[in-house]
Amino acid sequence: MGGLRARAAAARPGRTAPLLAGAGLAALLAWSWHGTAVDLPGLFGGEGMRQVATYVAGLFPPDLSARTWRDAAAGAVETFAISLIGSLLAVGLGLPLSLLATRTLLYRGILFEGRRPGPGARTARVALYAAGKALLNLLRTIPEIVWALIFVFMVGLGPFPGVLALGFHTGGVLGKLFGEVLEDVDPAPLEALQATGASRFGILVYGVLPQALPQFVSYALYRWEVNIRAAAMLGFVGAGGLGQRIHIAISLFQEHQLLTLILAIYAIVTLVDALSAYLRARLV
Amino acid sequence: MLSVERLVKRYPTGDAALRGVDLEVPAGQVMALIGPSGAGKSTLLRCVNRLVEPTAGRVRLEGEDLTALGAAALRRARRRMGMIFQEFALVERLSVMENVLSGRLGYVGFWRSWFRRFPPADVEEAFRLLDRVELAESCDKRADALSGGQRQRVGIARALLQNPRILLVDEPTASLDPKTSRQIMRLICELCRERGLAAIINMHDVALARLFVERVVGLRQGAIVYDGPPDGLTPEVLTTIYGAEDWSEARRRGGADEEEEEEPEVDEQRLAGLT
Ligand SMILES: Nc1ncnc2c1ncn2[C@@H]1O[C@H](COP(=O)(O)OP(=O)(O)O)[C@@H](O)[C@H]1O
Ligand SMILES: [Mg+2]
Repeated sequence: MGGLRARAAAARPGRTAPLLAGAGLAALLAWSWHGTAVDLPGLFGGEGMRQVATYVAGLFPPDLSARTWRDAAAGAVETFAISLIGSLLAVGLGLPLSLLATRTLLYRGILFEGRRPGPGARTARVALYAAGKALLNLLRTIPEIVWALIFVFMVGLGPFPGVLALGFHTGGVLGKLFGEVLEDVDPAPLEALQATGASRFGILVYGVLPQALPQFVSYALYRWEVNIRAAAMLGFVGAGGLGQRIHIAISLFQEHQLLTLILAIYAIVTLVDALSAYLRARLV
Repeated sequence: MLSVERLVKRYPTGDAALRGVDLEVPAGQVMALIGPSGAGKSTLLRCVNRLVEPTAGRVRLEGEDLTALGAAALRRARRRMGMIFQEFALVERLSVMENVLSGRLGYVGFWRSWFRRFPPADVEEAFRLLDRVELAESCDKRADALSGGQRQRVGIARALLQNPRILLVDEPTASLDPKTSRQIMRLICELCRERGLAAIINMHDVALARLFVERVVGLRQGAIVYDGPPDGLTPEVLTTIYGAEDWSEARRRGGADEEEEEEPEVDEQRLAGLT
């Protein structure tokens, strides 16, 4: 009884906590609204809206001349290639790095049950984990567009810096996600394999990977869908593809070509979404 | 063949789960380990193949001291002990066949594991076992497409493919319906007899244990309180194992107090049926 009363008393201050949190959240929201200078009349009424409407009307009709067609098609193929190779590079970078970002592969959990590594060995492994995590965070924190600027500076204009930019940023994202997948696999079958006398490698191949691979594929496909959009934008800083052509078209006031290029982006994004959905249904 | 001597297990959190257990299992003997939930049955099994590291005491299998083995020797020793789990512990996304073959992982090397290629003899034996547990047609199905009873039979085939000397069986029927439970228990016991295997079968279902085994060991709070034939499980003995005294006390008082929730559950009708 006394225990119950004590528990009830302990719970009472808890009731004010959600209120405080709610008030704090509201304040944050108000401050952000103010800070971002939200101006709805400015968005929908006024001169700006009319100007945009005039500009959009000026884009029509799209330029369907053979030359522009060829340019748009070449740009679309390049953007597609950047997104595909960039995403593959991301998997190539993220997969090995994810192994470093997985505690259950480095120093704890079923694979290390009953093994008592020396304090030195354990510290080294924890440090490896921390380093892996830090590297992935760095890759991920720097946006694609900044990576693109860096690589354009390093290797010059064209699709290659775009590939590198996508690979580095997305590699960081996938590395983190893959690591989380690896840590979250069901431990029961791993234990069963351990009980058969399987080596750690055997447990990895037969227990961990079959559980993790479908999710790896799913995440990689999703990031490919993200990357086709990103690839189209990277051209603005000189990293090839449709974006680069769009940038030129805007600068030279070639409105009708611009519309053709925008339609090409729309087509290529739709195509990749469909491909990704198809592969997901087949593979996952 | 298996001998457990003064085995103690103390988890980092909390009290001793095993307080000096002595147990001898001769070759070919199928015995049941019964006791209330939390008595330490799973801990005892897991200390035998060292999925859980014992705190003190010895475990010998065919004379070999398992508690003294290094990592590589322990893996070799584990091949001689097949384990069967309550929740089956299959790799759900792999086929039935691959799950069974994974029982050979302790025997094959790096490259065979990597390419998932097992020697033809292993594959043939796996087919024979699947046939024996009546799953031959399902061998290409994914494990998650099977019913509970079928999954447990995959688990049994996986354990047997190790070619073990003893089976460690942890509540094999606790996730199954009563009829399937009996079928699974019968299958395990038949297979042990066919192959001359010893087995320790953890269970909380006393009636089921009485039907199938020749020896019952009762565990309570980490200590053995009964060791004998199933016929010796008198109401007094069951009271010692399950603490039914407290439980009947609880019944008189209506059984709604907080304290009694901590007490082990006893199936009233089962106990009644045993007298
Ligand atoms: N991994 C663990 N960590 C800490 N305590 C545990 C762990 N596993 C079991 N225990 C404790 O050890 C005791 C025996 O548990 P267990 O062997 O699972 O009993 P049973 O299988 O008979 O139900 C229980 O008190 C349980 O809470
Ligand atoms: Mg248990």
